Amino acid sequence: MIAELVQHVVNGLVIGGGYALMGIGLTLIFGIMRVVNFAHGEFYMLGAFLLFTLFGTLGIDFFLAAAVAIVAVGVAGAVVERVVLRPLRGQAIEIPMLAMVALSVILQNAAILLWDPSPKTIRHPFSPIPIVLGPIHIVAIRIFAGVAAVALIIGSHLFIRKTRLGKAMRATFQDGEMARLVGVDVDRVYTATFSFGAALAGASGVLLGSVFWVYPAMGDQAAMKSFAVVIMGGLGDFLGAIVGGLLLGVAESLGAAYVSSGYKDAIGFVVIILLLLFRPAGLFGRRDRLR
Amino acid sequence: MRLPARALATLAVLAVVPFVLDDYYVHLLIMSGIFFLPSAGMNVLLAGGQLTLGHTAFFGIGAYTSGLLALQWGLSPLYGMVVAAALAALVGYLLGTITLRLRGAYFVLVTIGFAEVIRLVATNWIELTQGPLGLPGVPPFDLGRAAFTLTSKRQYYFVMLVLGALTYALCARLLRSRFGRALTAVRQNENLAESVGVSAYRTTLVAMVVACALAGVGGSFYGHYTQFLSPELFAFYNTVTMVVMVVGGGQATVAGPALGAIVFTFLPEFLRVAAFYRMLIYGVILLLAIMFMPRGIVDALQRLRRRVPASVAEPPAGGEPLVVADGRPAGGDTPLVVEHVTVQFGGLTALSDVTFSLARREILALIGPNGAGKTTAFHVITGFLRPTTGRVLGGARIDLTSLPPHEVCRQGLVRMFQKASVFPECSAINNVTIAGHRLGRAGFWALVFNTRATRREEAALAARAASLLQFTGLTGRAHEVASNLSYGEQRLLGLAIALAPGPAVLLLDEPAAGLNPAETQRVMALIQQIRAQGVSVLLVEHDMKLVMGISDRIVVLNHGQKIAEGRPAEIQRDPDVIRAYLGAGQADARA
Repeated sequence: MIAELVQHVVNGLVIGGGYALMGIGLTLIFGIMRVVNFAHGEFYMLGAFLLFTLFGTLGIDFFLAAAVAIVAVGVAGAVVERVVLRPLRGQAIEIPMLAMVALSVILQNAAILLWDPSPKTIRHPFSPIPIVLGPIHIVAIRIFAGVAAVALIIGSHLFIRKTRLGKAMRATFQDGEMARLVGVDVDRVYTATFSFGAALAGASGVLLGSVFWVYPAMGDQAAMKSFAVVIMGGLGDFLGAIVGGLLLGVAESLGAAYVSSGYKDAIGFVVIILLLLFRPAGLFGRRDRLR
Repeated sequence: MRLPARALATLAVLAVVPFVLDDYYVHLLIMSGIFFLPSAGMNVLLAGGQLTLGHTAFFGIGAYTSGLLALQWGLSPLYGMVVAAALAALVGYLLGTITLRLRGAYFVLVTIGFAEVIRLVATNWIELTQGPLGLPGVPPFDLGRAAFTLTSKRQYYFVMLVLGALTYALCARLLRSRFGRALTAVRQNENLAESVGVSAYRTTLVAMVVACALAGVGGSFYGHYTQFLSPELFAFYNTVTMVVMVVGGGQATVAGPALGAIVFTFLPEFLRVAAFYRMLIYGVILLLAIMFMPRGIVDALQRLRRRVPASVAEPPAGGEPLVVADGRPAGGDTPLVVEHVTVQFGGLTALSDVTFSLARREILALIGPNGAGKTTAFHVITGFLRPTTGRVLGGARIDLTSLPPHEVCRQGLVRMFQKASVFPECSAINNVTIAGHRLGRAGFWALVFNTRATRREEAALAARAASLLQFTGLTGRAHEVASNLSYGEQRLLGLAIALAPGPAVLLLDEPAAGLNPAETQRVMALIQQIRAQGVSVLLVEHDMKLVMGISDRIVVLNHGQKIAEGRPAEIQRDPDVIRAYLGAGQADARA
């Protein structure tokens, strides 16, 4: 009984790590650029498919292929920022948002043409035989995905806290106009932010794509989940996204096991509606984010 | 009702269409119409600055409601449609009450989540919906009786045309009425809207109910037209289609959603020639459309042929320009009392036990060094900030302490903001007309049916706006967009806006800041004229010449405390005041 519970929690944490990565990317992009990135799920999908092609088709080493896929998604993000988002800066919030919706239509349909719509698996080099750790059974790829997600989360945190670029990002987050006045190259910060956020979504796709299926529409659900994560944690809240992601992963895993697997995907949004009723500023409610 | 020639011509063309085109195009036009309904609703809400991405939920609720009623109880789809609209409106109202205090991206994301939950319910509530299998055999639409069942595409087309025309007329009336102006005000400058008596929450809530009811009607008709219901109705791409129609057509315009619905229904169909590349090309066209005409087709067309603006209403001839509304400077002899007000932010005390009152026809200046708490006092008085302790009383000693800003305005207290004091995208005259919101009495249905009383009221509001522009000397700039006005002109417009609701107490936050001496003189003269009409003025100002020149009394704040109160001459001699402004040494040297 307890063993089963622990098993579900551990499974949930692995998926939650992926959600958290998505959520951090989304929340940074929103917090700094005020862009609601509706193509976030497609960057996730792109990460998974790049790994599928580089590793599965071209036979490049799994870990190298994973790293290349993540970087490539980051580059794609930078291009999108320069070509699409920069000209739209200063428009009302729905305009860049719709541009991202259009981009997601483009990317998803391009993926259908390039890779066809059938679900695929990535034949990762880890053993499919579960490892037994006390009461729980877990396959190695899930351990890898969980550990890698934690490493990437810590890495992102250090990047934002310690590097010059990370400081510039935080300054822009607090007050873009002021940051520009004291000499921060805001254009560069925007490009870096979007690129970094996209790369995190790509990383999430690489990790969860190795555990589950890879298909062109895989980003739809993932994007929904990351929106849920970000509202739970508070828009623009880095720590909130991490906690929100992990909580959502665990809640879904437990909900599917003990409540109803059909409603598993609704859990995040039910939590949000409850939160709105009782804690309208997000889980932590640290900032006035209502406007 | 004024039916312009263009509307009649459009209707005539649309009536002939099904006799000319074959059924395939008639079908596409019906689909355009069906999607026009929810899109038009979404557009009304977006006019108030709130974008919903959960609209497909209400579309689906409408479809399932009348579809299930017809399937299970044999209720005529016509009545089912009414129930569908009512249920969608009710759900929209409930969702609105918990979400419309959120703004921008928050609201967007929550509405997406709501639609997702509803989709999952429709998928999983197998007993009711048969889940993903869907419900086939939904009865066709009829006009209240089985004998009037629609049997051909042409019949569906004409019913759709009636529904579409009614929706178009409804939205046109709403968007061009006082309600529509309130939506514009909330979208462009929510704080200013509140301060002139517009409740952002109530206004957007009404818009939400309208939007959801229209989505319910559209969904209901869709269900009976396709005769099939499935959870696919709730798919996110349906919402995307609606948003594309609204924004692609022209958001917050009347014609935008209609044009958008037709263009973005036909476009994907025409792209069928591209076979596999269809959706890819659709996405690219969409992206290019957003990038090169972010304000939509209607705006792009208007740019092609600039319209001559309508003329400004004539200000009422002769006599003093009317400043005070209905000649009623309410509030008795002391229209404002601030009693023992303390405001603390965490450990910081911004105001400490401040008490003062304002007499009728008095000009009272609130002065003090930076950080003294003047603006905080304004926030407290006008309802933007609740004091930690203490009370604010209006005329007849009505307690204003816990009222929101728009209610404070209704009690006759209106402020002019120091920054962002106009609705930037509206013309000067529209700025002032919007701000007269509080004086309108016509209710929702009176606006929809544009009753004689409503028309009279509109004419009176327009005339009043014109006379206020004349009063502030901006008549010549009436049709200029506010953000194009010079800084000084914007300040004057801000003053006209603050006067529009007919205040008994006018609160001016540094009205002369950044003005040149001539403009400052003008503002001083205007303030005196305003007072002459029975209005009390509370003034925060740094320009001491102005303050000493026109104030009857002065209250001095320093570090959140009232350190002096009296006539200008007394204040100039007060040692505490001199110390606060010039530092201790100076005061001692003088003593």
